Amino acid sequence: MDNNLLRFFTLMDGQGYPVVKEAPRFDLDMYIGNYKGRTRFDRLILIGRSCVPLCIDALKAAIVDAKKGRDIQRYKEAVDCLQIAAPLEPEAVLDQAWINQKEAENKDITNRLLTELKGYKNNLIKESIRMGHEDMGKHLEATGDLNLAAESFMKMRPDVSTTKQYIDVAKHLVRVSIHRREWSMVTAHLSKLQGTAQLTDDEEKQLSAYMRIAHGIAYLGQEKYLDAALSFLEADNVAPTVYNEIASPNDVAIYGGLLALAFMNRSELQTKVLDNVKFREFLELEPNIRRAVSQFVSGRYSACISTLEAYRTDCLLDIYLQRHVKTIFQQIRNKCIVQYLIPFSRVSLDTMAKAFGSPDQPIEDELADMIKAGTLQAKIDLIDRLVVTMSANQRAHMQNMALKTAKVYERQAIDRLNRMGLVAAELDIRPLTAKFSAMRGMMTQQGDRMNEQLENVV
Amino acid sequence: MDRIASVLLEFPPVGAQLEGAQYNQAAVQHAKNVEKLLSSQELHNYAHQLIDHVHPTDHTISYLGLLVAAHDAGRLTPEDLLTKITTFACTFDSRQIRYFGKHFSAVLGWISSGTLFPASVAVELLTTALLRLDPSGSMFTSHHLALVKLAYTTDNIDAALPILEKDIVFYPSGKKFADSRPPCDPDVPPVGYITVESGLTQKVSSSDVMQYDLLRGLAFIQRRAWRAAFEALERVVTYPVKDSHACSKIMVEAHNKWILVGLLLNGHAPALPPTTSPGPAKAYTTLSKPYLALARAFEERTPDNLRAEFDAVPANVWTEENNLSLVRLVIRHYQRWQILNMRHVYTKIPLSQIRARTQSAETGAPLATDAEVEDLVGQMIQEGMLRGVVEHPDNGEPYLRFLDEAEGSSSRSSAGAESGEKDGEGTMTEAEFAARMAEAAQRIKGLEPLVRAANERLGKTKEYIRFLVKEQKEKERAERGAAAGQEYVDSFMAQVEDEDLMMGVASKY
Repeated sequence: MDNNLLRFFTLMDGQGYPVVKEAPRFDLDMYIGNYKGRTRFDRLILIGRSCVPLCIDALKAAIVDAKKGRDIQRYKEAVDCLQIAAPLEPEAVLDQAWINQKEAENKDITNRLLTELKGYKNNLIKESIRMGHEDMGKHLEATGDLNLAAESFMKMRPDVSTTKQYIDVAKHLVRVSIHRREWSMVTAHLSKLQGTAQLTDDEEKQLSAYMRIAHGIAYLGQEKYLDAALSFLEADNVAPTVYNEIASPNDVAIYGGLLALAFMNRSELQTKVLDNVKFREFLELEPNIRRAVSQFVSGRYSACISTLEAYRTDCLLDIYLQRHVKTIFQQIRNKCIVQYLIPFSRVSLDTMAKAFGSPDQPIEDELADMIKAGTLQAKIDLIDRLVVTMSANQRAHMQNMALKTAKVYERQAIDRLNRMGLVAAELDIRPLTAKFSAMRGMMTQQGDRMNEQLENVV
Repeated sequence: MDRIASVLLEFPPVGAQLEGAQYNQAAVQHAKNVEKLLSSQELHNYAHQLIDHVHPTDHTISYLGLLVAAHDAGRLTPEDLLTKITTFACTFDSRQIRYFGKHFSAVLGWISSGTLFPASVAVELLTTALLRLDPSGSMFTSHHLALVKLAYTTDNIDAALPILEKDIVFYPSGKKFADSRPPCDPDVPPVGYITVESGLTQKVSSSDVMQYDLLRGLAFIQRRAWRAAFEALERVVTYPVKDSHACSKIMVEAHNKWILVGLLLNGHAPALPPTTSPGPAKAYTTLSKPYLALARAFEERTPDNLRAEFDAVPANVWTEENNLSLVRLVIRHYQRWQILNMRHVYTKIPLSQIRARTQSAETGAPLATDAEVEDLVGQMIQEGMLRGVVEHPDNGEPYLRFLDEAEGSSSRSSAGAESGEKDGEGTMTEAEFAARMAEAAQRIKGLEPLVRAANERLGKTKEYIRFLVKEQKEKERAERGAAAGQEYVDSFMAQVEDEDLMMGVASKY
């Protein structure tokens, strides 16, 4: 890695981006060809910031993509990155002429749209007003002002007259909310779409697929993993153009498969993933995910993990998955380990290490963490190097519970008696009379002030 | 002088067995007589001579009268005075004393003043006297506070333990307690005769009660009896407060210590009991911030935050709140809990691994040598905190083997029983379990007299009687209503009228 790249990635590391040293298995151009709209740039710049081998290519592609649009801010952002990572590239210099031109253009368009909108409003033609707002929203979205764009799209609502228009408004809002990473807003806008009537079967199918996928992404963002998995698994395989502004069919297969693997049990995986006719079509795009799921179901856990490990790089470069990769992969690993141990009463640590071990973390540490977290019922013997699984001792548990309950009962009885005694003797602290309350009010204020001072000092 | 002697020996009459009301009448009269004598100069002149001829148990009232007179007159040699006081405190009759409470309190006051006796003797005398007065120890008196203050400040806690370990549930009330039975009745609960009126205690305030429990907590902390200290402090923390904003300073102080003791006892931050009043609960979150932060940091895997939280507060704050040594102890115990928590994860672990995996919160680094680890583990085993054995195999490094409940109970040292019951998973034999259950049941049964007394007492409060009268009226009205159906519905509707009809109370009918 040359010095510039090193500097760039140290900076990115500090900003919380993972540094991926391996190249992903996909081809950048083909990958980005699956998407449309703003998500293209977001994805490119994310890859540029995280992936060492693809950094410069991705950043250049991002610059090209930005220049096609009219969002000056993101163009500057991409150039800034490239300036640090590879200052000698020709693209690393800000194209001031382009910026000036676009700035002027954007201003013109905004003004034109505003005047038009004013005119429509004066004429009181609902349809024109709606379209005026829509154009305005789209323009603002293109220039990168997502906040105002969302506002403009919202203003379309009162003038909607057909179902199609109603759906369009919601889709605009969902898209903007996803770009802004406002996951709860995504869910809110989607819920407005539920139960939309008067659709042909085909439209219905497309809408439901869009909703399921958007919902899944929103749940994923909110860390509701199981809900996200279920949402992805129920998506219909419709033409990717319906949803390519937010995800590609391959993404759906990966998100759905991984989340299901992490948060569902074996029989659920069989019925809801492998036997799921709708989802199978997605899975065919990502045969390795499919293989991992069936490996898990058939009990070949270490094979499942190594299949998945090959995906880690790709997942780390995914715009929605990146933040959750660690949790999801750890969860899958934990599940594999738990499942692996079920048939045994004791397993040697070395066998475990052979099956699950990785060079960077010894298996006993990982097991210890799992036991502490309560995911695994076992104990470790570091002398004889064994994992001893603990079957829950129901009898001892019952006995302890009974004794504890008796003890708690006794303590509570005494506590209640004590309270009754205090109240009967009128020793409980009672509200002060009005005069004193007023005085106390003053004192509390003083107290607050003192607290503030104290906090300042501390 | 003869006249005085005859009055003094009048009660209890020789030969006659007085019971119930008769005894009560005679005792009241006698107490009045002795009181009258006390105001005469004559008694003061002869008291020091007469006192040797009166038996302190048979004639407790008279003996006490003479003792007070002799003390006031100053005619006894100090040595004699002390002997007499001691004799009195150890042998007085607990029935007669109920009629002469004022002077009894006075004598206890002399003892607890700390000027007459050395503190260790004073504490013992007070404890004996209070237990004679109320063997159940369930009643709070103003003397309890004096006792715990004296015991704690002079470090004579052991002698006071018989009183300090009792669970107090009754408190003297300013209100008159109407009991149909005379105070001499052996069935009368302590709350029936230890009243402000009888003079056996002075009026107490809520802060007296809280102070008592706080000082008890401190006393137990000094003895490192963490569980007892925790329970004592919890009584202050959950002290009933009706005002939704008020909180006593004593409660905050107790809460701070309660958190620290909770850490030492359980290894994690205690959760506020659901009985905590809302006002104090709110106050704790703001006023106990450094302690809560400390408790959170204690549960973390590395001691860095614990050290940071400790250093974040200026040292003089810990000192001013008198918690510095306790906080230091908490920090010292951090590593112990790290090791102890390993019992959930490991069955055997080499000492070198313990060293690598745990850090001392005092230095923020692992211990320097395995030998130090062995010392620490050995200490923990000896104190009964940890159940385990350090094994030294011939070919290999020394390791710690954790014992489970069944193995552990036999090797458990008695000194360590303090650390409380462990949540071990071993099975007990059926007989052992039955015995322990029976023991628990017995303890709960032991509460019965307390419950009965509380019931009687509450049954006689004004509020309850008012409630009963109201209930009676309702019932009568209902009976009348049942006779005439329509009237009942009317009366019900009239009753419901005040309530929110939207709630649907009336719709059910």
